[in-house]
Amino acid sequence: MEAVNIQFAPGTGTEEEWNEAYARLADYFRSYRLHNRLRRTQLILETLRRAAEAHSKDASKTPTAHAIEQAKLKLHEWLGEIYSDLNLTDSQIAASGRLGFHLCDGPNRWPQFFLDRGNLPPDMTSAMRSAVRTSGPSMQVSKMTPRDIDLGRITEVAEGTFDTFERSPLFRYAALILFVSGVLSYFYWLLR
Amino acid sequence: MSKEPSMGTPPPPQGLPPKGYTRARRATFFSLVGLGTFLGTWLLYIFLAEHGLRWCEIALLIVFIPLYYQLNNGFWTALIGVWLLNRPYPDPLDLWNTLSADDHKRPIDVSTAVIVPIYNEDVTRVYEGLRAIYLSLKETGQLESFDFFILSDSDDTNKWIEEEVAWLELCRQLEGFGKIFYRKRRKPINRKSGNVSDFCRRWGKRYRYTVVLDADSVMSGALITAMVRIMEKNAGIGILQTFPKQIGSETMLGRVMQFAQALYGPAFMAGLDYWQGGEANYWGHNAIIRLAPFIESCALPPLPGKEPFGGHILSHDFVEAALMRKAGYAVRLLRTSRGSYEEGPPTLVDMLKRDRRWCQGNMQHFWLLFAKGWHPMSRLNFFHGILSYASSVLWFLFLLLATFLAATPVEQADDKVALAEQLLLGLTITLIFLPKIVMLLDELFTGRLFKPLKLRMLTLMSCAGDTIIFTLMAPVLMIFHAQFVIYTILGKGVRWIAQRRKIDGGVDWRELFFTFGPIVLIGLIWTFIAFRVSAGFLLWISPILVSLILAMVIGAVVSSGRSGFRFGLFRIPEELEKPPEILQLESNLAEIKDRALTHPDLEKNFGLVQVFLDPYVNGLHVSLLRRRRNIHVSRDFLRELADRLIRQGPQALKKWELKSMIHDTDTVTDLHYRLWSAAEHDLAPFWSLAIKQYNLAKSSPFAHLLAQNEPLPLEALA
Repeated sequence: MEAVNIQFAPGTGTEEEWNEAYARLADYFRSYRLHNRLRRTQLILETLRRAAEAHSKDASKTPTAHAIEQAKLKLHEWLGEIYSDLNLTDSQIAASGRLGFHLCDGPNRWPQFFLDRGNLPPDMTSAMRSAVRTSGPSMQVSKMTPRDIDLGRITEVAEGTFDTFERSPLFRYAALILFVSGVLSYFYWLLR
Repeated sequence: MSKEPSMGTPPPPQGLPPKGYTRARRATFFSLVGLGTFLGTWLLYIFLAEHGLRWCEIALLIVFIPLYYQLNNGFWTALIGVWLLNRPYPDPLDLWNTLSADDHKRPIDVSTAVIVPIYNEDVTRVYEGLRAIYLSLKETGQLESFDFFILSDSDDTNKWIEEEVAWLELCRQLEGFGKIFYRKRRKPINRKSGNVSDFCRRWGKRYRYTVVLDADSVMSGALITAMVRIMEKNAGIGILQTFPKQIGSETMLGRVMQFAQALYGPAFMAGLDYWQGGEANYWGHNAIIRLAPFIESCALPPLPGKEPFGGHILSHDFVEAALMRKAGYAVRLLRTSRGSYEEGPPTLVDMLKRDRRWCQGNMQHFWLLFAKGWHPMSRLNFFHGILSYASSVLWFLFLLLATFLAATPVEQADDKVALAEQLLLGLTITLIFLPKIVMLLDELFTGRLFKPLKLRMLTLMSCAGDTIIFTLMAPVLMIFHAQFVIYTILGKGVRWIAQRRKIDGGVDWRELFFTFGPIVLIGLIWTFIAFRVSAGFLLWISPILVSLILAMVIGAVVSSGRSGFRFGLFRIPEELEKPPEILQLESNLAEIKDRALTHPDLEKNFGLVQVFLDPYVNGLHVSLLRRRRNIHVSRDFLRELADRLIRQGPQALKKWELKSMIHDTDTVTDLHYRLWSAAEHDLAPFWSLAIKQYNLAKSSPFAHLLAQNEPLPLEALA
């Protein structure tokens, strides 16, 4: 485990900005369900130190943005080390790697080794690599082609009628109005 | 009842009933139906034709014939069913007889996929249902031969993420990776039938059978394995349909329906099996399908014209059954009393919404009625489907014409006419009520549902209750169904919506007012007309009019949670002695129900919160997405959407905009980091709150949707 220098005095950015970055990083690492507070604090401070260096070179980004970017870089480096020979793209490594850490119960079993590139226990590496999942079995493609159904002559006539109805809303509603007026006329006649 | 042909041989192993049997059975059944229809029509003719037939009397006679045919069909199906249930020797065509005791013990060595097509369903219910089935199959010791597929067409982004999260958690809990699969379609082409076809195209070749479930289906492992064994023994069966019993209802309507289904269902199923034989219907779920002929022959072509009458086939199941039969395979009903379950709509409004969809689907079958190549029974099945909704229009016309005739009375002098009138009335009442009475007596004497006498007596009272409720509901349903038929003909289609399966609050009076208000108005106007016509006519038509006037009250009463449970009414055996699968399901659902919710604003969009903020859920979603090619065209557009999402929150984006974002792997990954990197003042209040609350909300990102209990011990399930 890397030694942590608790002294943290960034040369750029305000105290308020670095406090915000600290709070965000704390939330971010908590979202990894790292219940080991010691390791979480170590990670936050390590990342903030790297963020402070980055911010001194590029102050156009906020300390929070730099902090999360550094966390992302650390994660990519760490996962890249674990999945180096699995022929996965960067985004696959990032996605599957995070998921793999959760599936092998990494946050509870190996919290102290999370993002620790120089210290990868073989059982953790092996568990994370075997946890890369797919959601479906390999495909065995079949053709399922609809065959035309011969609908017959009566249907052809009906199709023509309904086509007329569909093409002409006026005709459709005229039929409806005729029906309704017929019923109303009947009632009128009944009650006259 | 006609005598069965003396064949003396067991049914052939291939599962298609011998022609001699089916011909004799159909001749018997349709002779009885025809006779009853002819008798009723003849009596009506005598009643109407004393002074010659006027145009409206001819019209009345014409609409009467299909209505009376339908009535007779139900009557004889039920009575024959009761006879089959009570006959002293087993039915030679009963598929259960094709399995020997050894067959039940033999290991299953063919692969079967259990598929659950879903669309914006309650995720917890779907996955807990699947868990119950999985564990039940595990109990049989035959789990190895089964794979499970959740086939999602959900277009609600939150549901989609929830489905993925629940899939992972279920696999983790059951150690089901490589056994339980999740597939989400990018475009839900051709809805449910398209969803199933997509499965068939991708993975159909891997399996010999597929058990198709609905989102609310539960089936026992014992029944599923028995179905596979029956299919293995009967190579001629293409589709084997079980009788899904409705369970789990909490409202009056749901409980009355599940009671009626439990009491009358077995007889109706036996009766249907009697005359449908190898040309039964497929109801779309709780059935097993032989995949090779299904893939080969059951792809659905579009119908001529546009929706709602043409286009994509909505009620695909009837058509698939007909196509399977056309391909030479039998479609059979399997008489089951347990092991196959589903849920029904909780309220009358929900039932009507479902009926609207079914109506449109059945009306589409008009095109297929005259198509070439169908087995005559498949054609008849289409006709019955259409008639089940068209009969409401006919009944409505019948009542209108009856009103007209009552308003223009003719002198009746002949005693023969009065006798015909009385006989017709008596015959009709017999056709309506005798099957119920016979089935009730069957229960009272045999105790098929309940052995204790007290429960049988309660069944008697419940039967009286369900008769009153269905009698009151029937005219209301008639008006709605008639309206649905007319809407379909006029080209007003229905949208594909997720079904509500549980009431999520009290009775919605506003919904009731707008749904049933016009019906009440029709009832009041009709009452006024009937009053002006004559007091006698008003009395004759009063059962209909009372129902219409009370439509809103009926809607409220049947949709409420006061279901008679406290008084022991409308009980079904599954409520008293819960099957293990249902016990497992209910216990898990109860655990979830008590779980604390997060902030209401977050709860509504919790799927989105998770996919963008949680590193694991984000990783899961990206892992499951297929990488798209040529996305650069829309890259700027997706970036603009992402900016809007960060600054204004999810409510600022349309449903399709959210969907297009979470379909793209790069956008989803990028947004995860951008949200966490954004300065406080750049974040929408929604995200600000989400970032602060997220870690407090749930202890595990995957655990909130499913029960965390260990599966119930065997003794508890037994």
